[in-house]
Amino acid sequence: MTRFRSPAVRACWYLSLAILAVPFVFPFLWMLSSAVKSQAEIFSPALSLLPETWHWENYAEVFRYQPFARQYANSLYIAGLVTAGTLFISSLAGYALARIRFAGSGLLLLVLISALMMPEEVTIIPNFFLMKQLGLMNTHMPLILLPMFGSQGVMATFLMRQYFTALPPELEEAARMDGLSRFGIFWKVALPLSRPALAAVGIITFLYSWNLFLEPLVFLSDIELFTLPLALSNFTDAYGLPLWHLQMAATSLAVVPILVVYIAAQRQIVESFALSGVKG
Amino acid sequence: MADLTLTGVCKSFGALEVIRNVDLQVRDGEFVVFVGPSGCGKSTLLRCISGLEDITGGTLEIGGTRMNDVPAAKRGVAMVFQSYALYPHLRVRENMGFGLKVRKVARPEIARRVDEAARTLKLESLLDRFPRELSGGQRQRVAIGRAIVGHPQVFLFDEPLSNLDAELRVHMRAEISGLHKRLGTTMVYVTHDQIEAMTLADKIVVLRDGRVEQVGSPRDLYDRPANVFVAQFIGSPKMNLFDAAGLAASLPGHLRPASGAVRAGLRPEDMQVLPEGEGLVSGRVESNEYTGAGSLLHLHLDGLGRCLALYNGGDAPGEGAGISVGFDATRLYWFDGQERRIATRESAAGIST
Repeated sequence: MTRFRSPAVRACWYLSLAILAVPFVFPFLWMLSSAVKSQAEIFSPALSLLPETWHWENYAEVFRYQPFARQYANSLYIAGLVTAGTLFISSLAGYALARIRFAGSGLLLLVLISALMMPEEVTIIPNFFLMKQLGLMNTHMPLILLPMFGSQGVMATFLMRQYFTALPPELEEAARMDGLSRFGIFWKVALPLSRPALAAVGIITFLYSWNLFLEPLVFLSDIELFTLPLALSNFTDAYGLPLWHLQMAATSLAVVPILVVYIAAQRQIVESFALSGVKG
Repeated sequence: MADLTLTGVCKSFGALEVIRNVDLQVRDGEFVVFVGPSGCGKSTLLRCISGLEDITGGTLEIGGTRMNDVPAAKRGVAMVFQSYALYPHLRVRENMGFGLKVRKVARPEIARRVDEAARTLKLESLLDRFPRELSGGQRQRVAIGRAIVGHPQVFLFDEPLSNLDAELRVHMRAEISGLHKRLGTTMVYVTHDQIEAMTLADKIVVLRDGRVEQVGSPRDLYDRPANVFVAQFIGSPKMNLFDAAGLAASLPGHLRPASGAVRAGLRPEDMQVLPEGEGLVSGRVESNEYTGAGSLLHLHLDGLGRCLALYNGGDAPGEGAGISVGFDATRLYWFDGQERRIATRESAAGIST
């Protein structure tokens, strides 16, 4: 920090950072502002972040327009299940890939990583037919199963594997000397030590599931089953045009859980990515 | 406490043979040190004893019981790792009692044993700290404490002091030695530091390329090395080697090299650096390394080549000075063409200065 010892230099530095932050912060402020404006005021030529009249009733309207509380709950429980399931599977699989020597483990890792390269749009049609054959159309199951076993699950497994690889092997040997089984070592030593990775994978997975749009669009048709991203696109008038004030109000409600979780754990996300890059 | 017996023990990693037919008998309560250069297999041999590695041939017995296929936790051994291997998420107390908890020992008994070990190692005030809150020496003591609480038959130490600074290493060396005296348990210790080996061991095992070169007390190995490798490995600075015929030419008539000798060895501390003309072999000083108590002289001897000599005192000859070297002929070691030491009747030799 010696570079910023001079107050003038420090002030210049902060000013530059503040200017750079504008493109990132402004849309967010615009969303919050539009959420309490009327539809007409949003498009008025006088650009202002502060509304002329505060329309708090926009928030109530969001819940009257469609079953938004139900859709919010859908997103919460699906994201929760996907996160828990992904953490369970990716930690077990990541540990196995990092620590258990078995024939073809290298090849398996290569196949898994190559699955990351495939865009989800490519697999959506085969997945559609698969889910249809399994009778899971218009249910939440595709939204739970596909992220857990699809590219997000692979990403999570890869992150966990990198973290487990970086754990000192002596710790596991000490645990063996202490009498722990392979699963005991995983459960009582490796897993408690991988809390930063688990936190990061948990947040990334939650975000992924929370923001999922294509899959709900393909697999769901009942409005009661909609998740938030789909619900947000549903605030339209009789001509199919967006009702921006309602969309913005609903979106500002939708980002609350993400903001809370992200602010609470952003340092661990960065640590985990740094670790997977440097030590892997 | 128990005997430890290795008979024809081998260990291979695929086609790579790391331990080759090792026979070793460690008596109950003995302190045995494995030494050898990097890659000689000393740590692998220790891991084979611990059960962290399976042996691929031979028999391993602890307390008279064959242990080849017994899991590490059931061999009655405890290991202290080079990196300490303390669980970072557990406090000192939990680290020390972890193994007992896994073995489902009753809580009051765990607490009693942990407190007892903490008293022995002066860790009482650190029991509620996490490993990250401890210094290197404290971590090492916790690692030893973790080994003690299980009341093992055999303690295994894998270069436990190599991560400590020099001063702490000397301190911990004394602590480990004291611990061995107090507990009287069989201890097997791996190090590449021969000072540690010489000061701690009842018995030293010198390894090279997975084979045992010699087993014996520190004095045995220093005074009666089996071959050139052991002779040069034990002792610091290492033993000088000369061509036997070349050295013989410098010896007085009544002193002849041992029969069949090809090389001669002389330790730097056994060489006396004298003014020109007063010794047996003349030469000059190539460089002088001042060590405080004395100097380490790099010499070039006429007809014999380069060698090292320890010079005690502050008036060592400087670079380029002409000197001559004398030595006690009883301190000469003779080696045959296979580099084995030739046993001689040292008492027959005289002082040759």
